[in-house]
Order: sequence, then structure tokens, then C-alpha cells
Amino acid sequence: MNLCRPSRAMMVGLVALAAMGAAAPSRAGAETLLRTRLNADIRSTDPGTNRDANTDGVMAHVVEGLVAFRDDTSIGPMLADSWTTSNDGRTYTFHLRQGVKFHNGATMTAADVVWSLKRWLDPATQWRCLSEFSATGIARIEAIETLDTQTVAITLDRPTALFLSTLARPDCGQTAIIHRDSVGADGKWIAPVGTGPFKLGEWKRGQYVDLLRFDGYAARSEPRTGYTGAKIAQVDRIRFNVVPDGSAAKAGLLSGSLDAIGNLAIPDVEDLKGRPDVQLSITPALGLTGVLFQTRDPLLKDVRIRRAIALSLDTPQIIEAVMEGIARANNSALPIGSPFYGEVETHGYTQDIAEAKKLLAQAGYRGQPIKMIANKRYSYVFDSAVLVQAMAQAVGINIEIEVLDWAAQLDRYNRGDYQSMAFVYSPRLDPSLSFEMLMGPKATQPRKVWDNPEAQRMLQESMMIDDKAKRQLLFDELHRRFIDDVPMIVLFNGAEIAALRNNVKGFSGWLFGQPRFWGVSVQ
Amino acid sequence: MLGYLARRLAMTIPTLLLVAVAVFTLVRLIPGDPVQVMLGDNADPAQAAQLRTQLGLDQPVPLQFLYWLGKLATGDLGHSITNNLPVLPLILERFQVSAVIVLVAVGLAACIAVVAGVIAAWKQNSALDLAIVGGATLLLSIPSFWLGLLLLLLFGLKLKWLPVIGYVPFSENVWQATMFMVLPIVTLTAVEIGVLTRMARAASIEVLRLEYVTHARAKGVPEWLVLGRHVLPNAFAPTWTLIGLVLGHLLGGIAVIETVFTLPGLGRLLVDSIFARDYPVVQGCLLFTAVIYVVVNLIVDLCYPLFDPRVAVA
Repeated sequence: MNLCRPSRAMMVGLVALAAMGAAAPSRAGAETLLRTRLNADIRSTDPGTNRDANTDGVMAHVVEGLVAFRDDTSIGPMLADSWTTSNDGRTYTFHLRQGVKFHNGATMTAADVVWSLKRWLDPATQWRCLSEFSATGIARIEAIETLDTQTVAITLDRPTALFLSTLARPDCGQTAIIHRDSVGADGKWIAPVGTGPFKLGEWKRGQYVDLLRFDGYAARSEPRTGYTGAKIAQVDRIRFNVVPDGSAAKAGLLSGSLDAIGNLAIPDVEDLKGRPDVQLSITPALGLTGVLFQTRDPLLKDVRIRRAIALSLDTPQIIEAVMEGIARANNSALPIGSPFYGEVETHGYTQDIAEAKKLLAQAGYRGQPIKMIANKRYSYVFDSAVLVQAMAQAVGINIEIEVLDWAAQLDRYNRGDYQSMAFVYSPRLDPSLSFEMLMGPKATQPRKVWDNPEAQRMLQESMMIDDKAKRQLLFDELHRRFIDDVPMIVLFNGAEIAALRNNVKGFSGWLFGQPRFWGVSVQ
Repeated sequence: MLGYLARRLAMTIPTLLLVAVAVFTLVRLIPGDPVQVMLGDNADPAQAAQLRTQLGLDQPVPLQFLYWLGKLATGDLGHSITNNLPVLPLILERFQVSAVIVLVAVGLAACIAVVAGVIAAWKQNSALDLAIVGGATLLLSIPSFWLGLLLLLLFGLKLKWLPVIGYVPFSENVWQATMFMVLPIVTLTAVEIGVLTRMARAASIEVLRLEYVTHARAKGVPEWLVLGRHVLPNAFAPTWTLIGLVLGHLLGGIAVIETVFTLPGLGRLLVDSIFARDYPVVQGCLLFTAVIYVVVNLIVDLCYPLFDPRVAVA
């Protein structure tokens, strides 16, 4: 019986297999891989066009613009080394960095910048920020010219303080400078050929997006900050896994299938704090959670009722309960992290039950129900609504919560069709834009909550002037009026929470919240 | 047989047309607009209007329906609003993932349930019967997402036997694909065993009371042969009908399992598309599921005579 004895061929095969097995770990060991999570797939690879927050976050590793936001939300150079502004404030001349390579090996020149900008401004591209450069936006772009191979001049129809920050906006795809190979001969998008520290690898829809280290990357010399500074890829590959379920993502991190997860839910923080193999990164955020009022509503048009609701709230207690102590209360439209958030902005509403009751009596309020729309997509928004309801009830205000899904709530928000709603705004990186998202004439823009022509004029002024001190005065005055008018109650700005395995080094969160995996290594 | 098949197929056309109308109307009745979801709280009204025109959403709803129906007649389910991909290939790709899980889970559940049901009926009112009925009721009552998460935590996190995150198609690596599929299949199987076991038990009890079983026993036919030859096939027939329903139900309700186990299947595509108000994909998924439901039930009906010759198809 020699059936069980391995034959010579089988032996050779086994040895070969063993050799392959032995070789495999060393090959795998050669490549450093960082595995992270997206809660939903990206929409496209065309930055700033068919996009959402996930798309922006992934593409920020692949493409770069002329300028970019720093950690403190100020504007820093990226592909442009420096720029000058003409005396009339209308012409910006950008001096480009030397030796910047695209992912296809070509060197970036002024012609690429002009080509990219003209493509974004072509309505066919459907660039998200096109309207900002139209007649109704911040300023219209009149000309884009090449002065030499490394210099580009952009002329606007009027001066604006928001030009650079709009170019740098992540939702505008940072107005990326891309190579023309990114599109086909017919102008149709193929894939991004950018200048970022990573290039696009494989995108398996619904499963993952792979980014590969770009070996020809020319990094800036200053330290990494925001979306600018030295962006050096420390890993060979980043895999963004699409994991919709938060619990599954957490299990993935704890089992070692994932190295880093962002957008962590608040209840998970306490659970992960005590884990020896996990580190947490908690940073203040720029988003804004609050309660909006429809000031055209027969009941809520009375500012005394709105003020009474604001005075019924113990905002710090709400934040403590909803955010478990990792965020601070803030009644200002400006986020706490903004460089324009000063002493004036710290003054908001302080709970005053007696005053609230007095105001309600003066307004003749007799317990009429006030509908408040909320959603469960953002658990902290729903939790805030419940606490506002409970605290308002203590002074006799009858709030009824109506839970809608996010799309339905957005629809009501855009139409201004509500009495009140607990809402969350996405981050705005310039203080003028923080106010702009709330302010405007309701007759033409029903989604706006604060309709005050005088304040609107001050906002327009803040968009035109570049002087920081003058802008600060305007924002301080806007804040005072905002608190007086109570078109909404800002509650807090939230926090960006990421959890990482201990072998991940160099990660740092930032105000804007999007993940940044340059400078991050896996050991 | 062929005449029956033709009649059944012809009957499906008005059914599917009704489904199409219902799907289109229901989807449009949900408040919310894909353009607003895409642009978020920072939407520029002019840009939103432009996007709406480009997607054809500014047209009257009846016109949009006729346009969709016209394309449907040529087999074109339209293009996804969120990523501009044709809907049908998107669905077919995702369907492969769901189909594998559902078919294997239902097959396994049916095999286990029929045997368990027959045994429970055979030992009616005994401790074994009580255990089987109790187990089936328990499995029936457990929410699938909860069971899925528990299994994930136990086998993925504590024991580290199975991977937690990811998916590999069978065409790429059979072993890895199997590893990723084990937990979702076990979860679905567990949930479905409950219904099917109770059905199989009830059917078996009826068969065991019939005269031919008594006759066979009186003849001295061994008990295992009585069960295997007479009870099992007869208990399987009613369970088979239920399998058709279970298959359809699972295809519609698999989204939870696919979300928990991060599988890129049809259910997750449907849920994601509903949240994004991606009308063409939602309509496509629902219509596709309806077609599958009709086809599965047709197959079940056509196969029924194989298990129960008293039912003739003519």
C-alpha cells in the first residue's frame, strides 16, 4: 500500500507551494497598506462635480489646487508658491511652484492651470462652484491669462474677500489643477490625472477605492497643515472600504480588518476609550447643529416666543448629554474653531425660566403646538431635538417632534415649509459664508432662516473687504443682531472623531473633519 | 404543459405593468428630491434647476413615466442619477451577490427544516418535538440584523475565524469568497429555518395520520422507510410552495444582512438609492425584484408535480 506516500511530482508541487507560501508574506510585507472606511461609496472621480463629502475626502488625496486651507482655516499656498493682488483688488497673479509633476509624469505649467480653470468654468462640466463665479456669485471671472510658463493671472469683475477661499473649498474639489489626459478627446471624464501624493488605483463600486502612492510627488517644504504643507505619502496604498454600518466598521477596527475609521458615533467613544489596541482622535468640527424657526409662521413670527424657547434651554447641559462632553456649547453662527470667534461670540443665551415665562405671557401663548422636524440620520440632531422639546416643555411650550428622513427634511428646508426643525449645516470655512448660509430674503430664497435687510448689507460688506479687523467688527455686530432676532438657536459645532489602531502613526484630525492620510504610516 | 407555461407567462405581463405603475407612482410620492440630496444644504437654486432639467426631473410626472415605460420596452432601465451608470448592468452585478446568499441560505434552510419538521412530527409532543418547535420559534423571533451582528462579533471579533469587512467574488478567489459568505448565509438560514420547520412539521403530522402510513406500519415496513419513503416527500410538497414565497421575501429583505456584512448586493443598492432618491435605480431594483418573484413562483408551480403527482399541470 503506497497510496498515501506522496509521489515525486506531488513532492515537487508541495515544495513549490511551500516556497510560494513563504514568499507571499515577504511580498505582502513589502507593501504598506492603510485600510480605512467610507460610510458610503464615492459618487465619481471627477472632483467638485458629481460629489459629496466622501468624494471630496478621497479626491483630496489625488488632486490639489492653487491654494488650500490651513488647519486654522486661513488660506495657504499649494500649487501656487505665491500670489499678488492688483491695487483695485480685481486681478490675482499666481506664481506656480517649479517641478510639480502630474501622475502621468508631465510637469505642471501655467497652460495646465488655464486649461483646468477653463474646464471648470465650462457649464458642460457642471462644476459645483460655477455659480460662485457667475453674476449672482462672489465675482465673475473675466479673464484667465498665461503671463509665462509659471505665471497665471485671473481677473475678476469686482473685488471680493472670498476669491481664494472659494478656490480652496473642498466641495469645489479645491478647484483642482489636473492634466488634460483626465478627459478623452470628446471632453468626457476618464480619471483624475492630478498632482496629489496619491494616484487613483482601483475603484470597485460599492466595495472600495484604492489609492496608490505617487512616487514622483513634489512635496512642499512647510509642515503639513490643513490641505497644504508637506503632503508626503508614507504608505504604498490606501484602501477606502465602503462599510455603511457603524457597528460593522467598529468590529472591523477591533478585529484588525481596518486600521482607521472616521465619523465615529458618539456612543462608541466611551466603548473604545478603554481599548488598549485603539487610539482616538477627537477634534472640534465646523459643522453647525441648531434649531431653525420659520419666522413667517403665524405663531413663531413673534420674536418673544422664539426668545422664550431660547431662554428655556440649558445649552451646555444639552451638549453634555448629546455629545458626551466632547463638544462645547456655542450659540454663535461662527464656529468655535474660527479665527473670527472672539469674546463677543461667546455671548449667547443663558437659561432664564422666569423671563421665558414672562415673554410667553406677553406674547399671549396658550400652549399651541409647535411642530419640530428632526431626522435620525444624524443621531445627535434627533437627541438635541428631544432635549429641546423637554426643556421647552418645562416653561409651558408645547413642541411636537416629527421625524423625517434626511431627503424629506432637506426638501422641507429648501421650501421653508416648516415651523421649526432641528438641523445640521455642513462646514463653511469662511465667516462670511457661515452667516451667508443662514441669511437672505425669504421671498426669493425660502431656505434662508434669517431675513434682515440691514444685516444682509453688513454681510455683503464683509464679503468685499479683506481687512481682518474691519471684518471682525462686522461679524461681531452680526452676532449681536443674530442673538437678538433669534431666527434660529445654534447649539454646538460637534466634533470629528476618528478611531485608529495603535500601529497607525502620524494621523491628526482637523476642523474640517475630512480624513488626511498623507504623513500617516502603519507600523 | 407548454400551453400552461404560455398562459402563465402571458399573465405576468399585466402583473408587471401594474408593478411598474405602482413602483413609479410610489417612488415619486416620497417627499424629497435627488437634486437636493446631491447638492445638500449648500444648494444654489440656479444650479439645482439646471441639474433638474438635465435629469429630466422638470418634466410633468406622467411624461416622465411614459418616457421611462418607452425605454423599458426596449430593455433599458435608464441611468442612475447619482453616478450616471446604466441601471440594468448595475442591478445584474449586484444581483449576483444577493442571489448566491439567498439561494444557498434557502436551500440549506429547506433541507434542515424538512428533516427537523419530519422528526418533530414523528416524535410529536415529546421533549425532542418541544425542543425543535421551541428552537424554530426562537429563530423566527430573532431579528436578522441582531443575529448577524452577534455572529460577526463572535466569529469575526472574538474567535477571529472569519473576516469581518470586505467581499471577494467567487470568480476571483473561491476560498476567500466562501469565508466572506459564511456568516451572511448562516444568518439568513437561521432566520428562515424557523418558518420552514413549522410548515414541514404541520405537513408531516397530517401525513402521519393518513391511512397509507398506518397501512405501511401494519405491513411491518421499518419506521425509517416509512418516514423516508412516505412522509418526507409528502411533507416537502407544501414546504416547496413556501420556498417560493421565502425566496421572493428574502430578495426584497436582504438589505439588512448586506449592510451588516458589507456585501455589495441588490438590497443595499436599493436602500442606498432610496436615501439618495435615485429614482431610476429604485424603480429598476423594485421591478427587477418583482420579475424575480414572478419567475420563482412560476418555477415553483411548474416543479410542484414532481413532488406531488396528484397536482397535474395542463
